[in-house]
Amino acid sequence: MYDLAWRSKRLKRENVGQIRIIEAFLAVLIIFSSFTVSANLTVVQNISNHDNMALTGLQALVKLDSDGSLSKYVDDEDWTGLQDVLNLALPPGIAFNLTVYNRKMEQINMDTISNGGFSSQQISFVEYVCASQDSNFRCYVIHLCLTVAT
Amino acid sequence: MPVISVDTFFACALMVLLVLSAMAATSKLLYPHMSKAFDINTAERYESISKYLLLNDGTPSNWGQNIQTTLETFSLAKTGSNTLYELDIDKVSRLNNANLHSVSYPQIFTTLEIPDVSFRIEIKPVFEIVTNFTSITEGLNETSYDFEVLTEKYGVPVPTELKVYAVANNHLESKQTYASNGKTFMNITIPNDVNGPALLVVFARSISNSKIISFNAYSFAHNSNEPNSEGTFLRLSPLNYNLTASLVYPEINLSDAYALSFDYSATLTQIINDSQSSIYIIPRLLDPSPTLIVVTGWNYTSFFTEWTTYPQVPLQTGANFSTSTSLTNVHAYTYLVTIDSALYKCTIWLGGPRD
Repeated sequence: MYDLAWRSKRLKRENVGQIRIIEAFLAVLIIFSSFTVSANLTVVQNISNHDNMALTGLQALVKLDSDGSLSKYVDDEDWTGLQDVLNLALPPGIAFNLTVYNRKMEQINMDTISNGGFSSQQISFVEYVCASQDSNFRCYVIHLCLTVAT
Repeated sequence: MPVISVDTFFACALMVLLVLSAMAATSKLLYPHMSKAFDINTAERYESISKYLLLNDGTPSNWGQNIQTTLETFSLAKTGSNTLYELDIDKVSRLNNANLHSVSYPQIFTTLEIPDVSFRIEIKPVFEIVTNFTSITEGLNETSYDFEVLTEKYGVPVPTELKVYAVANNHLESKQTYASNGKTFMNITIPNDVNGPALLVVFARSISNSKIISFNAYSFAHNSNEPNSEGTFLRLSPLNYNLTASLVYPEINLSDAYALSFDYSATLTQIINDSQSSIYIIPRLLDPSPTLIVVTGWNYTSFFTEWTTYPQVPLQTGANFSTSTSLTNVHAYTYLVTIDSALYKCTIWLGGPRD
């Protein structure tokens, strides 16, 4: 009788140790799930970097449009001139790709307006609407993609 | 030792180890994000400040032209402009330390009323011109000088149209050419009876946009000793379409003064002349180009040429972040700005104290 009680007590004590180990593994599970959640939070910073590049591109387009020269390049279909002027207007190290659409969203530029180097996955996008200053009113939608040149 | 004690010890040790490593790893993982979150807020604030500097005209709104008024709020935009990022030619010129009426960084810092933000402003042409002297050919009546002119942006060639002026004593000649691949060679011929040193002024206008223009001046010996450095004889301060030429030595005699732009050139009219300085009227040239002003004169028997530009760029003013160890979080913002119809690149660095 005494032997049975002693064995039962011993078994309980052994189980307590096992439960502690299970607790430890539960703690591991909780901690690593917190790692997973916190790792996802860093995405916010990438959005901010995208915003900075997009603002730079937008400011360049606004400046070129302020005297009507942006729409003049499109009216004249001077895609080389537009590419050259964007090369000058944008800071070094930024690759761009520009597409011009009419108001029906049909692509106007048949030539590529780009300085190449688009291998990065972090691409900023700017949509800009400009109007022709010609006597015939025309409206253009400009899509400018920007990335860090590689 | 009982088995239960070993189990408990092992479990406790494992938990303590895991908790400690988790704390270390979590803090390591989250700290960059927390500091980045702070950086995002700081970057947004700095960006707003940089835009404020370029989109507002300050108080009083004519603080650039009027040197009698006290600057109350610092900003650089042209008053009454309908164009975004159009800067006032005089406000910009007063940022240049070479100008007699320049505003100092402490003045600007005080009037900006943002004590935790230091800043630096740089305004310069969108691309650069490099002028290299290549050879000289001396003839009986005239001497020919050969130059290589490069137009480039960070080493990348920029196709341009060039206008070149050669200025010497009672001598002004001009030439026009193209640097279609960003490089050209040109030849300047100056008669031997003309006194030097001579000044070669180069304007380069982008073929793709006539408002993107750059300039350079190169002084070289002609019937003279090697030219002195800029500012040896005169301090030139353009403001409110007047040029003040302050004499460094009282025995200096001024002769001709010229205003040069890409399309036009004019001789300046002197309106005031005393023993310390002379004042000239700067003409309003119509083309979208900086006006490069050349003043010639004599110091005893030595002829000299001094030059400046209106707006007085390139310029850099403000805190020097490159040598600062107490400031971090330095952010740079680059804008394309208009000054007197021509386009320039304006970079504003903003930095705050270490967190």
